[in-house]
Amino acid sequence: MKYLFIDSATATLVVAIIIDDKITYIYNQKVGKDMSSVIILERDGKIIRQKRITEQKENSKLIMPTVKKVLNKEKPDSIIVVNGPGSFTGIRVGLTVAKMMSWALNIPVVPLSSLEVIASTPTSENNIALIDARRGFVYAGVYDNDLNVIMEDKHMELAKLNIDGQIVSYDDFAGIKPNLDILKVIKKHEKDKDINPHKLNPKYLKLTEAEEKLNRQNDNGSK
Amino acid sequence: MSTYILAIETSCDETSMAIIKDGHDEIATVVLSQMDTHANYGGVVPEIASRMHIENITLVAEEVLRKANMKMDDITAIAVTYGPGLIGSLLIGLMAAKTLAFIYHKPLVPVHHIAGHIYANNLVRQLEFPLIALVISGGHTELIYMKEDYSFEKLGGTLDDAVGEAYDKVARVIDVPYPGGPLVDKLAHEGKDTYPLPLPLDDDSYNFSFSGLKSAVINLVHNEKQRGQDIIKENMATSFQNRVVEILTKKTLKALKEYDVHNLIVAGGVAANKGLRERLTKECLANDIHLIVPEIKYCTDNAAMIGAAGYFAYKLGRRADLNLNAKASDMLH
Repeated sequence: MKYLFIDSATATLVVAIIIDDKITYIYNQKVGKDMSSVIILERDGKIIRQKRITEQKENSKLIMPTVKKVLNKEKPDSIIVVNGPGSFTGIRVGLTVAKMMSWALNIPVVPLSSLEVIASTPTSENNIALIDARRGFVYAGVYDNDLNVIMEDKHMELAKLNIDGQIVSYDDFAGIKPNLDILKVIKKHEKDKDINPHKLNPKYLKLTEAEEKLNRQNDNGSK
Repeated sequence: MSTYILAIETSCDETSMAIIKDGHDEIATVVLSQMDTHANYGGVVPEIASRMHIENITLVAEEVLRKANMKMDDITAIAVTYGPGLIGSLLIGLMAAKTLAFIYHKPLVPVHHIAGHIYANNLVRQLEFPLIALVISGGHTELIYMKEDYSFEKLGGTLDDAVGEAYDKVARVIDVPYPGGPLVDKLAHEGKDTYPLPLPLDDDSYNFSFSGLKSAVINLVHNEKQRGQDIIKENMATSFQNRVVEILTKKTLKALKEYDVHNLIVAGGVAANKGLRERLTKECLANDIHLIVPEIKYCTDNAAMIGAAGYFAYKLGRRADLNLNAKASDMLH
């Protein structure tokens, strides 16, 4: 099996080709200017990994040339793509490519979580994966070492993230390079049922501000 | 051999694809409008627009090929709107275009949204040069001189609000629901020009300014309210529209005269405005000007116009790489 893997939900764009359980090419590069960060914490709240999220528009330039390069004129058998959470625009850039490729080439596509990819970093304990959602919020998910879900991905206040009694603050976000285990992620999902590309959509975990405002107005109106 | 352009347009709130033969023959067009959704918010919400584009992009692609009864192998090149527009929205069409260009080894042709609006007219009748194009929409108000195909010289443009934007804002002030433009146009036909509004930026330039006119409407409405009176909507619509039509017509005629041009095309969403169409038709008849105004369906955003413009860009050898990026704003060239 030849898998094309795409993760553009954060500014570290990852595009990889996996053939018969081996990564034959991986592009793992941060792009553009720094805007915010992705952090991986251990159970005790200590930071073990971090990657910076950058201006997502740049992924839109990089992704197709990168896909072309990694595919090297060959057609993938299947696509594994991150569909969120993370930068709204970033998610859509990679997912549009995956949707169109799956539809045009008539090959299966399987979505997975950006937080799970971040949590693929090998540790002795559960991985708490966080992506900065700004204004004191994060996208958070907890996975064990075999990438089983311990806590479902969610959008939450950073201040409410309580790890073994410890409150994690923004100040703890120091810089350490990521160390993702894409192979582990692929293995975990290779048996997943594929999705009709027409129905493959982002998982933002957050409504747009306009929708939130309208919902509040409607709630107030009904009271 | 014929040239078939697959065109993709997602610059605002319409997800659209079309297949155009030789720059003038519309084989198939699919337009998925999000207007009903955005109406809930009183205007286009960019993030919601982007979200809806990605949900529909493959469906629209499938539908346009089905409608045309064609395969991707039959397509000569892929044309896409790269800007100007909402960046998040543009990116969906752009990524889709790049993916298709990559998979099927097709040339990728970048098209400026305004070039599309102008070439919408080529779907009606072949453009004759030289010409003046008046491009008026929710995002644009521009006078453009074209000596020949795909040569654009901007004579002037709005210094603040686009004309369609001014319509929507005035509509809100006089309590006309979204989208206000067409409704204000309709009301204008029922009222009388009774309110003293200024003729905006009535100078020697080819530039426009509509924020002063909009403020004048707001002030009048406010003053009437303070006196405990309501304005007469129809009359306000007529007064406002008369000023807009007057200044657009005046500067367009000036450009036609100064550049000794006898072809005028009107493009963009506001080209659907009846008041303006009537006035320009009358003036052009009196001044021996050949006027082309596209059908209403070609005035609003659609991929057919991108396919028409894309054909001429393709013939000129305009190409983009797979690293083509979307641009929120860009000079027409």
